[in-house]
Amino acid sequence: MPRRGDFRPFAARGRRPILAILLTFAAFSTVSVVSSISTTKRSQHRASVVEVAARQRTLAERYVKEVLLAREGARVDPRFTASILARSADALLDGGTAPPVYGDDDETKLSSATDATLRAQLGQERRLVVDLTNTGNALLANRSVARVPLTAHERLRMKDPVLRLRVLAALTSNVSLNAARTLASSTDRNINHLIVLQTVLGAAGLLASLLLGWALILATRRQTAHFRSLITSSTDLVVVLGTEGCRYVSRSVTRMVDRGEAELLGDGFEALLHSEDLAAVRSASGCGGPPEIVFRVLNTAGEWRHLEAHVTDLRQERWVRGVVLNARDVTERIKLEEQLTHQAFHDSLTGLPNRSLFRDRLDQALARAKRSGEFIAVLLIDLDGFKQVNDSLGHDAGDQLLSEVARRFKHVVRESDTVARFGGDEFALLLECVTEREVMAFAQRLLDGVAETVAIAGREISLGASIGIVLDPGSGHGEELVRDADVAMYAAKDAGRGRYEIFCPEMARKAGELLGVEHELRLGLQRGEFGLHYQPEIELATERIVGVEALLRWQSPTRGSVPPARFIPIAEATGLILLLGEFVLREACLQAAEWRRAGLVADSFVTWVNVSAKQLGNGTLGTVVRSALEAASLPPSVLGLEVTETAVVEDGIAGERARAELTKLHRLGVRIAIDDFGTGFSSLGQLRHFPIDMIKVDGSFVQGAVDDPKDAAITANLVNLAHALGLVAVAEGIESEGQLSSLQDFGCDLGQGYLFARPMPADQISELLATHRTELVDPDAAVA
Amino acid sequence: MRRLSSWLGRLTLVVLPVLAVVGCAEADTVSRAPNSLIRVSVKDFRIVVTPGHIPAGEAELVVTNHGPDTHELIVVRSRRSHLPVRLDGLTVDEEALHAVATVEGVAPKGVGRVRLHLAPGRYELFCNMAGHFMAGMHGNLVVG
Repeated sequence: MPRRGDFRPFAARGRRPILAILLTFAAFSTVSVVSSISTTKRSQHRASVVEVAARQRTLAERYVKEVLLAREGARVDPRFTASILARSADALLDGGTAPPVYGDDDETKLSSATDATLRAQLGQERRLVVDLTNTGNALLANRSVARVPLTAHERLRMKDPVLRLRVLAALTSNVSLNAARTLASSTDRNINHLIVLQTVLGAAGLLASLLLGWALILATRRQTAHFRSLITSSTDLVVVLGTEGCRYVSRSVTRMVDRGEAELLGDGFEALLHSEDLAAVRSASGCGGPPEIVFRVLNTAGEWRHLEAHVTDLRQERWVRGVVLNARDVTERIKLEEQLTHQAFHDSLTGLPNRSLFRDRLDQALARAKRSGEFIAVLLIDLDGFKQVNDSLGHDAGDQLLSEVARRFKHVVRESDTVARFGGDEFALLLECVTEREVMAFAQRLLDGVAETVAIAGREISLGASIGIVLDPGSGHGEELVRDADVAMYAAKDAGRGRYEIFCPEMARKAGELLGVEHELRLGLQRGEFGLHYQPEIELATERIVGVEALLRWQSPTRGSVPPARFIPIAEATGLILLLGEFVLREACLQAAEWRRAGLVADSFVTWVNVSAKQLGNGTLGTVVRSALEAASLPPSVLGLEVTETAVVEDGIAGERARAELTKLHRLGVRIAIDDFGTGFSSLGQLRHFPIDMIKVDGSFVQGAVDDPKDAAITANLVNLAHALGLVAVAEGIESEGQLSSLQDFGCDLGQGYLFARPMPADQISELLATHRTELVDPDAAVA
Repeated sequence: MRRLSSWLGRLTLVVLPVLAVVGCAEADTVSRAPNSLIRVSVKDFRIVVTPGHIPAGEAELVVTNHGPDTHELIVVRSRRSHLPVRLDGLTVDEEALHAVATVEGVAPKGVGRVRLHLAPGRYELFCNMAGHFMAGMHGNLVVG
């Protein structure tokens, strides 16, 4: 609800009084016209009445003459005149048609008389007409006129009948004349009233005109003041450009450029425009369009301010004769847009182009290469060992390292080349107009640059890089080139890291297979194509089954039974090993619980599960193990985890996290075994500090223990080492009685291998446990 | 203050003569106050004079028209003979008489006034509109 005094420049202030004045005008005009018409009509009617009334006088005198002539025998008809007199008298009083008088006038339509005085006079006139005509008739009939009854109150004492008739005629004539005078004076009064009314209305109209003019002037001045204040106080900039240059600038413009209005008018405004924007402003000034333009103006501080202007073509407007630019200073917005654009296409850490900008430049380079026939090269660079730096020294150190590497890359490449960071420790390089030899030289310089030591967090760090290269003559697609370079980079990693590889189709085929297997692995996990087989572990001294090792099996509908050696590396590489490991733990625990419930195993029976380095380093192993144990209601002591020695002795945060995880689980009661012991490069001294219960001697040593003295010695020493550390020694891959005998001689505690049993499904293990609780050695199984 | 006193002085100069004139007029009116009031009622076609006898001197004649038509009133001294009539036979020959007073056209419901000085004698009052005298509109007044 607007309040009185509010600033409302476009509101209807002043409109109400103007409307009131106009309505007054209309009312005055209506009253004037209606009263004029009414008075004129009444005057017209009264003129008719006056005419008829005046005619009565003539008729009365004519009647007397005709009566006198008739008495002398003349051919006249006084009765006809008498009838006209009587009918006219009736019409004058009560309205109707006054009959015509031959040779004189036409019939006249009259309304009934309304004025009381007039009616009294016309009534008297009618009575006198009656008296007159009755007297005339008596005279014509030679009757005594003295006996004619008089109705108009006259007291006629004269004896002469003719004089009597004439007196009556005179009275009739007189009263008719007086009635006409009354009417005329009434008309005069009405006309006088009309004149007075029109004079008053005219004066009022004049006054209203003056008021209207005054109100309009006030309203116009108010609106003008509002608009002036709007324009002068507005931060928007208003410029009017005409054929002769600038015609008007608002105060905000003069403030911005700190120039007087006179300096800006004419060519002065154009002198402050950026030369690149001059054409756009001149075009807008000349054509009245486009509707929006952006141009730059030099302000007082010497900065180019970006103005976004709405262009309004008012060249045809008589009072403007120009193109109006309503402009806003959008410098800050444009700066922000540029900043956002830069952020959208650049890496915030290194300032290098990001993947999006790289792809854009790659597409442009491909188009140029297609035209020129020159080769372009895409190099994808992944830093080797960066993760360890990040994990061990922290992310700040990692960021510093990435910045330094980016600086070195920029130093190596040409100005026209593009170095981009795709994220993490992955960089990309786009080279144009290069040969394979030049690309290789570039790649080598990049490797050399990365290999130079960097001082980060007080430590000298040296990195390597794996570089994948793809060369293309402009025929390829950007996305394909990046993918191929990625494949080549992984090939470089596979080939030993710290090197570059140029993409070839064979790499793509291998990568495609990898991707295919990964997809099938995911599907298989969803479809339940994975299952567990179990291989018994035998106590060599008693040949009792004291545990089982759970082994993952994949029954693919397309590939058949896939050996773990085929799909485990892929699962490791793709991260699927985490899901598979969780599956194995959960299933093995449930199965162990089932055996325990069935009374098939002793309380000390241990189910062993293999755990990969990725699971250990992931940080979620403890949660997964506890969850699996809880789900199966198993005590932790009946679950064993087999880990590789490399996973345990790994440097960096991942290794520390793995050791901490294992320690926690060991404290919980979970058994820990080192798998494939003897094949890694772990420091034997470190083993003392690890939470281990058991070491499993790799099958390669066991199988040579009978024929190869070195293997036999290694096996014997590993068993002794385990015992020296207070650990249980397990021999893997026992396939013959001789091997069993040797191991028994070495004092090995436990063993597993085809000699005892192959890995088999859970139900077969159940049967085995049921029938061979104490003794398992089956020579036939060993042969098979 | 000086301007105010000057203004008051001028006002006194204007107002005093006006008051003097008004006072004289009042005195004159008082000196000519009529001794008698003669009421004359006229209507179609009769004249009634009330009272019919008044003392001589100043008198005021008030004519009231009760009739529907317009009338007039002429006052003349009575003669031994009838009032002379014009050749038309319808109106009194006013030129042959000396009218003591005349009240011209009194409209219906209208009132006409005249002041006159009446010497002792008989007076005749009549309406001389065409035919009105003949129709009976005349009356008498005795003065003295």
